[in-house]
Amino acid sequence: MDWANLRTRLTKMLRSVWSPFAAIPIALLLGALVLLAAGYNPITAYEAMWQGAFKDRTAFTEVLIKATPLMFIGVGLAVAFKCSIWNIGAEGQFYAGAVMATVTGIYLGDLPRLILIPLVLIMGTAGGALWGMLAAYLKNRFGASEVVTTIMLNYVAIYITGYLVTGPMIETKGLFPQTPKISEAAWLPRFLPPTRLHIGFIIAVLVAVLLYILIFKTSIGYTIRAVGINPIAARYAGINVKRNILLAMGISGGAAGLAGAVEVSAISYRLYQLISPGFGFDGIAVALLVNNNPLGVIFSSFLFGALRSGAEVMMMTAKVPSVLVSLIQGFVILSVVAFGVYRVTTVEKEE
Amino acid sequence: MKRRLFTVLMAVTIVSLLAACAPAATQAPAAAEPTKAPAAAEPTKAPAAAEPTKAEAPKETAFKAGLLAPGPVNDGGWNQTAYEALKKMEADLGAEISYVETEQSPAAFEKAFRDFASQGYTFILGHGNEYTDAALTVAPEYPNTFFFLSSSRQWDPKVPNVVGLNSDSSQPCYVFGYIAAKMGKGAGLIGGMEIPPISESFTGFINGAKAADPNFPVKETYLGNWTDTAAAKEAGISYVDGGADFLLGNADFATNGVFQAMAEKNVNGFSLFGDNTDKAPKSIVANYILDYGEGLVELAAQVKAGTFKPTSNYEFGLKDSKVIWFTYNDNAANPVPADLRKEVEDLVKKIESGEINTLAK
Amino acid sequence: MDLLPGILFLQSILAATWRMATPILYAAVGEVFTERSGVLNIGLEGVMLIGAFAGYSVAFESGNLVLGLLAAILSGILSGLIFALFTVTIKANQIVVGAAFNMIGAGITGVLYRVFYAESGKVLSLKTFQPFQIPFLGDIPFLGEVLFNQNIMVYATLLVVPLASFILYKTAFGLSIQAVGEHPKAADTVGINVPRMRYFGILIGTTMASIGGAFLVLAYADQFVEGIVTGRGFIALAVVVFGSWSPWGAMGASLLFGVFYALQLRIQAMGSVLIPYQFLQALPYVVTIIFLIGLTKRRVQSPKALGVPYK
Repeated sequence: MDWANLRTRLTKMLRSVWSPFAAIPIALLLGALVLLAAGYNPITAYEAMWQGAFKDRTAFTEVLIKATPLMFIGVGLAVAFKCSIWNIGAEGQFYAGAVMATVTGIYLGDLPRLILIPLVLIMGTAGGALWGMLAAYLKNRFGASEVVTTIMLNYVAIYITGYLVTGPMIETKGLFPQTPKISEAAWLPRFLPPTRLHIGFIIAVLVAVLLYILIFKTSIGYTIRAVGINPIAARYAGINVKRNILLAMGISGGAAGLAGAVEVSAISYRLYQLISPGFGFDGIAVALLVNNNPLGVIFSSFLFGALRSGAEVMMMTAKVPSVLVSLIQGFVILSVVAFGVYRVTTVEKEE
Repeated sequence: MKRRLFTVLMAVTIVSLLAACAPAATQAPAAAEPTKAPAAAEPTKAPAAAEPTKAEAPKETAFKAGLLAPGPVNDGGWNQTAYEALKKMEADLGAEISYVETEQSPAAFEKAFRDFASQGYTFILGHGNEYTDAALTVAPEYPNTFFFLSSSRQWDPKVPNVVGLNSDSSQPCYVFGYIAAKMGKGAGLIGGMEIPPISESFTGFINGAKAADPNFPVKETYLGNWTDTAAAKEAGISYVDGGADFLLGNADFATNGVFQAMAEKNVNGFSLFGDNTDKAPKSIVANYILDYGEGLVELAAQVKAGTFKPTSNYEFGLKDSKVIWFTYNDNAANPVPADLRKEVEDLVKKIESGEINTLAK
Repeated sequence: MDLLPGILFLQSILAATWRMATPILYAAVGEVFTERSGVLNIGLEGVMLIGAFAGYSVAFESGNLVLGLLAAILSGILSGLIFALFTVTIKANQIVVGAAFNMIGAGITGVLYRVFYAESGKVLSLKTFQPFQIPFLGDIPFLGEVLFNQNIMVYATLLVVPLASFILYKTAFGLSIQAVGEHPKAADTVGINVPRMRYFGILIGTTMASIGGAFLVLAYADQFVEGIVTGRGFIALAVVVFGSWSPWGAMGASLLFGVFYALQLRIQAMGSVLIPYQFLQALPYVVTIIFLIGLTKRRVQSPKALGVPYK
């Protein structure tokens, strides 16, 4: 590796990095305009938000906790999107995973910790994977568009969860609909007491790295990407397109299911009718924001986690509606998109 | 190209993670600063600005009351009752108030409780039973803070700073059911999701209706959400088409649709939690008013004075006539007749004395 | 005489079906044009929310429903221009921009509604478009109640669908839209301005979606509430595919969705204790999947260039 080459590589790298970073202030600026129009002081609002996310170690770990489900879902979706499978159903797959994990954690609660924890996570992954692969099967067998089926399966999963939680799995009939707590042996360990940071976060980072390797460094990933770029050409090249679609949806659904399992076994310890505030939809943005790169998802989920986490404190101290965060997230995406294009054209010109 | 971009992003993230997890807490903002480049002046200012308030908090004895609401506090229903209560504390006790609408994610609950407690809030209300786990977890860390839970019968002497508050909607709804069965042909109940504040009000209504007329048809519908006004209206219309002439909605925002169905189909109905006569002036025959503030201010005053020593959970019912009561609408197309109002008075007495259990199965 | 309850039941369901289908139908018919031009807009939910809010606030302030509707249309055009700027001019990934729109829609309507309405203490109801009977036709037994006792925005769907179908299949404009969605390169070589046609496709889609959103406020419920669209934008996307990218198909699919939604509400209202109500709620979604499987025989291809930006 010669130095000149390294320098060009470095400058290129820096040039491509600045755009997502530049996008955030622009989004915040647009958000500030809305705040001003609505009669708030944007500086107080953002200061509160910043405090909420980065004030101290506890606040920061809360950001990571919020980022964890988004990271799982985002990396999974990145794989599906790389295969050009538009999985809009991570929300439902998250529920499927949470249900399976809860069932395992309650009914097999007598198992020893070392077996139960992996089992809960595996069952959650399996639940999400199967729910995702159902859509893949419908696409392969009947040509049913996954955009439609995954949206429909979201509703079905949420209603089934509602049924289980208000019906057969309810803790006490007549009281608030929730399942009993899962066995304590199924709780994910926390590693930074007194904060709530749990090993689910580490698992999420590992999954991101593994999926990155899978997608970019293995032949399996290569075929998935090939199907994504052009399924017809891939078929001529002898690639089993249907099997790859099934695999991509399995990975994607599995990751969302794992997110559900981690949420149950590390945070809530039981199932509610509404266990996700829309992680599955935020996950779509998290994946797309970084062009479906699993490693990039670590960054984008962190960003969304910080925004969401900060928003709550912003609401408490600056009295700004937390729904503002959705707006800022949207603006972040649009500005990244705008910058992204700028990046592509300049790079092309140079080469 | 892209791959390198993400390697760098990765590195930045990891560095900031490491920095933040390191014991020196102040490093976190610095490390994560790149994410907020133009506001560079702010972060340096922010910690400084925050410190004085932190330092002042223990000295100052300002009474702070916080609310965790499961939905928008402007819903004209359940969440708004809690927000109004908070505003009453502000007016009557000079409390410093704040609220947060928590995401529907249990992960958010604990954090919100901690955020309030660590900022010196001594009265924190979690407005729903779903906050119980989180309150019980956080409460031992803040023994001088009181955690109240709505729609809850929580009481455990081992965690005496978590106190359940239940406003029994089944009692006024029992009365409404009785009125409907005496006046009408059938009733339809439309709920958002199946949680106790909803299902208990329905149980009360059905019990009341059965007490007046065991054959009076009453049915329940759940929408599965709190926002679909159109579906709520359609559910109301479908009851009317099926022969019902009384409607009751308990679905937050979506309740609006039920009022509309009443008005459009010219049938009778009730309003819960607040006076909504203007939404269907000819249809609404009675309003159940929940003045949660009346119930809470008394407790809050004790918390403020430092004299609050709970020995059990709190139940609010028709006996607490300042908290839970109902009003008639005399301008309705079919106002509740005088003789029926008399009967209702007796009924209320029986409910207050406990002779009638409105939640009986 | 035993037939009467059955007839009333059916009548009530069918009348509800059309009303429930209408907002989805508006959004879906518009999205047919968008997708036919080769652009997928998954941001319909957000666009509908913005339309609902714009329609509500102008109608509320002015007291004029028609002005409200115009404001919704204007908001739709604005949303469309922004969406098109990003997806056509900047050639960004359409799903990304759509996802952003959903977030922006929820965020901006939430903030503005709270600040200007929810905390104002005003009475926030509107007088909505009222149902009216069409003379003579409204008196027809059975059908009269179903078909001819609705409000103007419901009736309008009867015009919108044939008109959309005519434009899409019988006019040069419609054929150009289809061409840029199928073979943008070929279209380009015969002199069709691909970006311009895609702008039109997108604008028709967002405008119609905004009307669908405004319908919820101006002609159904009488007040804006946060999240009032409740997933209808996503359903509309499903309806477009299900209706094989044609306006009539979209109408059929929205009506089918509407009928099962109306049916589940009525079955719940009948007080059946045998089936848990959550299964009834899931019914419209499950039926959509089943019908989609049933359609496998006449498999219709999506527009070939759908989702692909044109260089």
